[in-house]
Amino acid sequence: MFTKGSAAVCIVLFLAALNPATLPLRAQASDSGASSHKATAKTLAVSYLFPEQVTVVADKPTPIDLHFKVAPGLHVNSHTPHTEDLVPTTLKLPETSGVRLAHAIFPPGADFAFPADPAEKLSVYTGEFIIHAELVATKGDHLVEATLKYQACDNQICMPPHSIPVTIDVIAK
Amino acid sequence: MKRNVLVVGIVVIVIALLGLAGWANWQNRKQAAVKLQVEQAKAVLVPDNASPNGLSMHSPLVGKPAPAFTLTNLKGEEVSLASYKGKAVQLNFWATWCAPCKIETPWLVELQKQYAPQGFEILAVSFDDLDKEDKTLLAKEKVDIAKSAQKLGISYPVLLDGDSISKPYGDVEVFPTSFFLDRNGTIVATSAGLTSKDELESNIRKALGEGK
Repeated sequence: MFTKGSAAVCIVLFLAALNPATLPLRAQASDSGASSHKATAKTLAVSYLFPEQVTVVADKPTPIDLHFKVAPGLHVNSHTPHTEDLVPTTLKLPETSGVRLAHAIFPPGADFAFPADPAEKLSVYTGEFIIHAELVATKGDHLVEATLKYQACDNQICMPPHSIPVTIDVIAK
Repeated sequence: MKRNVLVVGIVVIVIALLGLAGWANWQNRKQAAVKLQVEQAKAVLVPDNASPNGLSMHSPLVGKPAPAFTLTNLKGEEVSLASYKGKAVQLNFWATWCAPCKIETPWLVELQKQYAPQGFEILAVSFDDLDKEDKTLLAKEKVDIAKSAQKLGISYPVLLDGDSISKPYGDVEVFPTSFFLDRNGTIVATSAGLTSKDELESNIRKALGEGK
C-alpha cells in the first residue's frame, strides 16, 4: 500500500508545509506591522519609483525622468519652498560615481495651507512627482546611488528631514 | 518501471507547482508589504475623546517622572530640567523647519505669559540638526535657530540638540510634540502634532494642578 512513490509525495508535501514562502500572507504582514508607525513615517514618506536603468550617450548630457511618489496623506516641501527655513526637496549625485548631474528641473509645487492657518501658503509636492534630470556619464556601466532629500508633513505633524537612495544603473555608450 | 516513472513525474510536477505557488505568494507578500509600509507612513495620530479639538499621544511616560537632562541654551549656558523642580513645565519639541510648530508657537508665547505668575515655564527643545564637527557650520546653525526663535517671538528658553534626549522621551519623531510636567516633575499629559490653543491650555492647567 505504502509504496516508495507515495512516501516521496508525502515527503514533498511535508517539506512544502515547512516552506516559509507558502505561509499565509497575513502572518507575514502582521510581523512587518510590529515596527513603529513613527519610525516608518520617517523613512517612507517618499518612494522612488523608476527608472532603475538608463542608457545614455557617453560624455553628453542626456535627459532622464526620475519618478517619485509621496505617501497618501503626506506632503513634502517643493524644491522652492516659500520661506527659506523650510527644507527644500533636493537631488544629489555622489561626486565619484562617474556620473554628473548637469541639470535638474523640479516640478513647481502646489499651494498647501494647514487648516489652522489657511492664510499661510506652502509650496509642496503630493502624490507622484517627476524630476527631469540631465546626466553626463563617462563611458561604461555605473551603479549610481543618488540621494533625494525631503522633509515631510501631514495636516498636523512634521517629520525630520530625511534622505532616500535613488539607485540608477547608468549604461553610457 | 512505468510506475516509478509516473511517481517521479508526479513528484516533479508537485515540486514545480509548489515552486510556482511559493513564487506567486512571495510576489504577493512583497506587494502587500509595500502597501502596508505606505499605510504606516501616514503616521496615524489618535484623537483624544476627552478633547475633540486635539490630538493626544498615548505615551507610556504619562504618570512617570520626566527623564532628566541637561542641554545648552542659545547663549551657550547649560540648562537642567532638575532646576525647574517646583514649577509646572511644558517641554515643547520643535524645529525651525516645522510649519505646524510655527502655528502653535504664538499660542505658547501667550500661554506662557498668562500662566507664568502661577509658576509655569516652557522649554523649547530644538530638533534642528547641529554639525558638531564643523564649527563654522555649527555657529551658523545656532544663529539660524536664534533668528527663527526671535521671528516667532519666543520669550522662553530655547535648548539645543533635542535629538540627544529623544530616546528617553520615547523617540520623539513627529513635531510639534509636548510633554507637560507637574511641579514634581511627573509627566501628566503629552500631545503630538498641531492641537489647539484650548487643548494646550487644558494640558498646562493639568500641569499646574488645576485641570482634571
